[in-house]
Amino acid sequence: MTNLFIGLFLSTLITALLTTRLYRLFLWYGLNSIFLGLAALEQYKLLDDKALLISALLTLLLKGLLLPYLFKLFALKFHTERNIPPKIRLQYAILLIPAILVFTFYLINPILHLPGKNYISLSIASLFLSLVLIIEHKAIFAKVIGFLMMENALFLLGMTATEGMPMLIELGIFFDLLMAVVVINLLFEVEHA
Amino acid sequence: MIYTLIHIAVMVILAPLFLSLIKAIKMWLLFKKPLPLLQGYNDLAKLLRKEVIISQEASQITRIAPYLVLAPLLTALLFMPPVTKGEWYIGFVDAFTLTGLLALSTFFLMLIGLDSASAFGGIGSSREAFISALVEPGMILVIFALSLIAKNLGIAEAAIHLNTHFPTHHLASYTFAAIAFFILILAENGRIPIDNPETHLELTMVHEAMVLDLSGWYLALVEAASAIKYMIFATLFVSFFSPFGIGAPFLIALAIYLAKIAFLSLIIALIEVNTAKLRLFKVPNLLGIAIIFAFLSLISYYMLGA
Repeated sequence: MTNLFIGLFLSTLITALLTTRLYRLFLWYGLNSIFLGLAALEQYKLLDDKALLISALLTLLLKGLLLPYLFKLFALKFHTERNIPPKIRLQYAILLIPAILVFTFYLINPILHLPGKNYISLSIASLFLSLVLIIEHKAIFAKVIGFLMMENALFLLGMTATEGMPMLIELGIFFDLLMAVVVINLLFEVEHA
Repeated sequence: MIYTLIHIAVMVILAPLFLSLIKAIKMWLLFKKPLPLLQGYNDLAKLLRKEVIISQEASQITRIAPYLVLAPLLTALLFMPPVTKGEWYIGFVDAFTLTGLLALSTFFLMLIGLDSASAFGGIGSSREAFISALVEPGMILVIFALSLIAKNLGIAEAAIHLNTHFPTHHLASYTFAAIAFFILILAENGRIPIDNPETHLELTMVHEAMVLDLSGWYLALVEAASAIKYMIFATLFVSFFSPFGIGAPFLIALAIYLAKIAFLSLIIALIEVNTAKLRLFKVPNLLGIAIIFAFLSLISYYMLGA
């Protein structure tokens, strides 16, 4: 089942890359986080690591449900432009996205001996893809979503590479995220004024 | 043998029923009085009674092509995966044969549109060429990904293998293939995000524009062909992506199969009610997404299926 959830995680990320509507982007981000949380739950069942359970539940609740809702509230509050056409046209994205996926698959060949090497390559691919999401948009909301997706990819990387990330690191990342959201809110205020 | 014949006959006979079913569900959801499920047959019967009028500009092609639109699709029906284990099937037919047959049918449909020398026919043909050129790579990629998952190039054998060995290790790849194939069903059958089969508004129509100059028996042939095309795609979809119930006895298996197609029709009707038609120049975006998912399905077979 981890297989399916990580696949869906990747597919929501790619759909987010191709979308042109702001609220749709929030929806894809929420689904992305939910699938990540479900994958973490699966991993928890496998490893029986209590810290992973807390991380998974936090991911599901905070990132999957709360953050998209908050973003929608922000977008409503600041009357943001809801049409966000990507800078990279779809014709190029069709070539770029598979190229990134195949590239990272070869990138991790030196660490072939690790058990979850395919998941590691996928999470590095997700990092690159979220970078693409950041650079292909001009709108600040899309950049923020790209940043958060990058954080999701990091969580996936930590979870699969180390077979259960230490709770402390995950909490640290969550606090960073919280700070980032506060800073972003300030940014919106500045942009709005 | 007899099961195979019954299966093919059922697919041919019930094809207009499912298109009427989609339409009826849509009308019901829009609080209209739904049309009777036999409306498809009534339309065909009406067309058979009418006289055939052919444009002065048309050449022999208009007389020949409707048969050649229908014939490749009827051939493709022979290659469908079986509904039950006891049934005979043709095992060696792969993605290229099937896609080629469908493309042949589309080619003659485009010729009909061009042959009547009306401006609408030309518009319809060019749009159809545009859409089906984008559908085919996706279709081949999807069926190859499925062949990889099922470890068999033949379509029918792949479907049977999926029934006996459900791909729990390749679920991601399998899901992507399903998403891509579903978009292709919508595109290739002219359902709503791509083309609206119910309007005759010149700016939007694709399929209707090509058959605008046909009448009577020839129009009946082309309409039957579009119903059978939907049946082919639906059969492929349900036998690949819900490969259950093949083990049952023939009649039960057939009933399960028809129920699955009715369910697929319900989903398509729900999508049609809830979405607006895409602008023509946005269509490549949707089909591009289908191609990406098909490619992703191939890649993730290697990447996730460790």
